[in-house]
Parts: sequence; structure tokens; C-alpha cells
Amino acid sequence: MTTIRFKTALLAGVLLPSALLITGCQTAETRTIDASGPQALNTGGINSQDWYAAADQLVGSLLTSGALDKAAVQPAVLAIDRIINNTQLNIDTDLLIKKIRVALIQTGKVAVTNTMGLGERAVVASEAAEMDEMTTGKKAKTPAINYTLYGKLIQQVDRLNGVTQNTYSFQMSLVDVRTGLTVWEDDRAIAKQTKKSTLGW
Amino acid sequence: MKMSFRLLAAPVMAAGLLAVLSGCATNVNTVSRAQPQAATNYISDKRVVTDNTLARTVRINAINQGVVSGNLLKIQAEVENLKNDLRSVRYKFEWIDKDGMAVNGPTEGWRVLQLQGRETVNISTVAVSPRAVDFVLKISEL
Repeated sequence: MTTIRFKTALLAGVLLPSALLITGCQTAETRTIDASGPQALNTGGINSQDWYAAADQLVGSLLTSGALDKAAVQPAVLAIDRIINNTQLNIDTDLLIKKIRVALIQTGKVAVTNTMGLGERAVVASEAAEMDEMTTGKKAKTPAINYTLYGKLIQQVDRLNGVTQNTYSFQMSLVDVRTGLTVWEDDRAIAKQTKKSTLGW
Repeated sequence: MKMSFRLLAAPVMAAGLLAVLSGCATNVNTVSRAQPQAATNYISDKRVVTDNTLARTVRINAINQGVVSGNLLKIQAEVENLKNDLRSVRYKFEWIDKDGMAVNGPTEGWRVLQLQGRETVNISTVAVSPRAVDFVLKISEL
């Protein structure tokens, strides 16, 4: 009898604190961080800092090239063409292109048109133009497009001695629609190495 | 006999230590034109050091300023690793308008910079707003 009571007490004494300890460890902690800051999680994928870095480098390169200054009209009219995602990641390419659009518009060198291209924005712009034509009886003149911007994201994976290296290339080209010539191009890469832990699963 | 072992052990250990140390070194040697043709526009700067260890590791040698696309400020900083091994730091450029207000760009953020031993690297950025007239370069340990 005494033995059973002792065992019960022992079990309770060991199991209860263990259970408390385990559940205590599961407490989730969330904090708000700067998406472009040093606290952003660094993974083998493209993290928030990488998008900012790639956009900054591409915008800096485009502006330094002076390609936008050669447009017949200022600000130059730019249409965003397709951004192809050839990585293994399921990502929204607007994470890159939106930053580039915002930056280019802020420079005052570019006006981005929505009457051409793919997606919701082009449809809305087209419908708005139709509505305007119906109400005014006149077809509104849309400004001629000077440039189109297109890009591609590529991922290369290399593995050696337990280290995986993901190299992401951010390629972008600016095409003069009048001549069909590429007037600016750049390719910026971000490489990330991940070493698999020798312990654990 | 004991004496001779000690006499032998000292040079062997020293040689081993030297081998290990030289093995870690990734110093960079450079060659450039003796009389540079580039017309740089180095500006005078004000420095605030809050991390002395970092200041002894990485140094900003010069800041070069230019203008691109007619009215956009471009800043290039020459960063030097003062140590003999690979070092990584973070840096960030911030822009300020003529009224002293921060001009936040959509691509502004912290970047990672890796420098080989004794390497000098140029980091640069372009202000996306024509309102930017001044800048702040922040640098911190990774």
C-alpha cells in the first residue's frame, strides 16, 4: 500500500513538472521587426533583405546607366513586361518589381503605364478607357510607350561536403520599343550557403 | 634527453602555429595605375564611432560623391578591412532632404558586405529621390 502511494507520488512529482516544462517551452513569442533590417530571418531562400538588396542594385544600375534620360519625352513612359520566375520557390515577383516601380516613379524619370501588359491592372485601365470613350464619345489618347522592362529570376543549386549553395540571379532588361533594342541590362546575384547540421534529424 | 625534447618541441609548436595562422589568412594584394585618371569628388565627412572594435576592424577610407541622371545623388564609400582574415559587416545608406528630413526610399535597407583580409571594396547607392541632398552611412558588425 505504502509502495503504491509512493509510486503515485513519485509519478506525479516527476510527470507534472515535466509536463509543465514541456508546455512552458511551447510558448510562442512574436516580435515585429524591420523587414529590411538585420533581424530578418536568413534562410536558403530569398528573404526580405534580399529583395531590398536586389531592387536597390538594379535601380542603382539602371539610373547610373542614363538609359532613361534618352527618351524623347520626360518622364519616359514605361510598361512592365513579364518577370519570369525560374526558381524552385513559389514567390510573387511583385516583391521585386513593386520596389523597382516605386523607386523609378520616385525619381521622376519614369511614368509607368497600366494600359499594356498582363494582369488585373491592365484590365482595369483598359475598362476605364472604354468607359471614358463611351461617356465622352471620344477615344482618349494614351501616351506612347518608350520602354518595356522585363526580367527573370534564376536559381542555381550547388552541393559539396554537406554545404548547399543557392545562387539567385536577378536579371533585368530595358527595351526601347521604337527600335526593339535593349538599352540597359543587368544581372545581380545573391548566393547563400547552408550547412546541414551533423546532429539531429 | 628531456632537454633535447624541449628544444625540439618549441620550434615544432611554433612552426605549427605559424602554419595554422598563415592558413587562415586570406589577404588581398592589389595593383592599380600609379597616376589615376579618374576625377574623384571626395567629400569631407563627420564620423561618430560607438563601436571601437568595429572601427579597428573596418575603416571607411573615403566618400566619393557624384550625380546621375541629372539630379540624383550617388554616393560611393571605400571600405577597407584592417584585419588579415575574412570579415563581414552590415551597412545602410539613408538619405536626407534640404530641410533635414529623412527621405525613405523603397529599396533602402541593411546590406551585408564581405571583405577578404586587407581588402578594399567600394559600396555605392543612388538616391531615388531628387530631394535627397545629404546622406548617412551606417555600418555595424554582422
